[in-house]
Amino acid sequence: MVTTMLEVKSLSKDFGGLQVIHDLSLSVTPGERRVILGPNGAGKTTLFHLLAGTLKPSNGEIFLDGQPISTYDAVKRARLGIARSYQKNNLFETLTIRENLMLAAAAALGKSTHMFKDTSKHADIRQRIDEIAEQVFLEDQLDQTVATASYGNRRQLEVGLALATRPKLLLMDEPTSGVGPNMIDRFHRLLEQLPRDITVLIIEHDMDLAFGVADLITVLNFGEKVFEGTPTDTRGNATVRDIYLGTGGDHA
Amino acid sequence: MFYQTKLRSITLIAALIFLACYASFGSYFAREIVVEIIILAILAISLDLCAGFGGMVSLCHGAMMGVAAYGFAIMSAKLGWPLFPSALIGLFAAVVFSGLVGWVTSRTNGIFFIMATLAFGQMAYTFFFKSRWLGGDDGFGGISRFDLSMIGLETNDSLVFTYIGLVILLLAYGLTAIVMRSGFGRTLSGIHVNEDRMKALGINTAAHRAKAMAFSGFIAGLAGIIAAQHTLYISPELLIWTTSGEALIVVILGGLGTLVGPIIGAILLVLMKHEISNYTDYWHAFIGLVLIFTVLAGGRGVFGQIEYWFNKLTQKHQSTTKPHGDDHA
Repeated sequence: MVTTMLEVKSLSKDFGGLQVIHDLSLSVTPGERRVILGPNGAGKTTLFHLLAGTLKPSNGEIFLDGQPISTYDAVKRARLGIARSYQKNNLFETLTIRENLMLAAAAALGKSTHMFKDTSKHADIRQRIDEIAEQVFLEDQLDQTVATASYGNRRQLEVGLALATRPKLLLMDEPTSGVGPNMIDRFHRLLEQLPRDITVLIIEHDMDLAFGVADLITVLNFGEKVFEGTPTDTRGNATVRDIYLGTGGDHA
Repeated sequence: MFYQTKLRSITLIAALIFLACYASFGSYFAREIVVEIIILAILAISLDLCAGFGGMVSLCHGAMMGVAAYGFAIMSAKLGWPLFPSALIGLFAAVVFSGLVGWVTSRTNGIFFIMATLAFGQMAYTFFFKSRWLGGDDGFGGISRFDLSMIGLETNDSLVFTYIGLVILLLAYGLTAIVMRSGFGRTLSGIHVNEDRMKALGINTAAHRAKAMAFSGFIAGLAGIIAAQHTLYISPELLIWTTSGEALIVVILGGLGTLVGPIIGAILLVLMKHEISNYTDYWHAFIGLVLIFTVLAGGRGVFGQIEYWFNKLTQKHQSTTKPHGDDHA
């Protein structure tokens, strides 16, 4: 039986002389919510690139559900169940929200290569669109064009696209980046309602949200893991306070 | 993304009826014009599916059409095969050629894609141009039209041939429309809008684009088979890059990414060409001006612009109904 959904073994990444990730090991259990904390430049987004396959590691191994995936490209990893939502919106701008979700659902259900049946008429695709729209609170905005949707709705769709593929492992890069307090509540609810068969890694700067949803927190600094523990332990840890939370209350 | 809207269906039917009437009530010359329109329209539909939906502005569509025409002509006229199997081989050759071009160019975009397809098209052109066996730049004749006498059709009659051409145009449109509505076609639109995100969703975008080119080659091949049977003669001129350029003009004139637009564009271009050349040798200049105006007026093309106005008008009346086809992808 597999007890880890994601296993990272001494992962390193350097760009020329700059070491962005250094000898990082992680182990995430199925269904876990793991929050990745760290100051700017700690290597959080690079870690996601390495996990999703959009960057190649300089060293180290990655296992998804027991399977070594280090040599696979991003497309193959996506098919194996790694989905990712981006820090900066990366959507199908000229299409409607429904069409965005349709593309993701068709990809996940293996219907992207069907040549003759109208995608919008597949019952399972329509059902998936409705489900995801409900999960990310976009039921009433489905026919809106993304380019004209509100920033908050676009952030929700960003997560919706990733969820629509029904991933095993969901990588969320600052889902609440740039949204207001109301929206953060909404994301909090969204995260709490996610089914537990999805393992989630979240990079998050909103501390209430991070401590609220996390089972475990991993703190990175200068590409290295400096701490790992429960939210309570993290709060109490002196090193973490020192490098991340600072002494005042003016963290990002 | 493609939707077969009512406006598109009505425009399609109106265009086909117009062409049928133009051929029926006109002279032999009018039928020649209609066949010219049909060939150009099918080629432009094939290009629209690449350029308008896939964002792949190809300059080798003339070559894709020409490969099918040569394939058909070589099998039937040179090697004496029956006509229908020869046509299938011609189409197959176009699919293989287009798929190969698509596969090699699938990781390039924008200007590099245009240049790469231009190079492949000119390679094919040069191949036929240099071949002595195939008559070099003179090409060769001796091609026959399909024998449909068992269903009572005399294809050597210009009107019957024109009608058959119209049916093939309708089939080419219908097939392309169905594929553009499918998962395959919508994913192609998605790749056009955001290829990186499509990859992140687990789509092998390079392979997808290559397949789209292959399918486009099949449609272009249909135009090639008609072209060869129309003049009963073929020459490398079919493959030259200006043929592709003309198809691109037609797509832009009619409306990129609409599928109906290319048919309207082909009608306009060929009619303008023939009407204006009655008065002046400088008809190219006139078409150039029309094209510049089209691009400056928003680049939607004639049909695209009408559709844009129509959607605005109807959205005012009913803002909560289903989405109409948008003009981007």
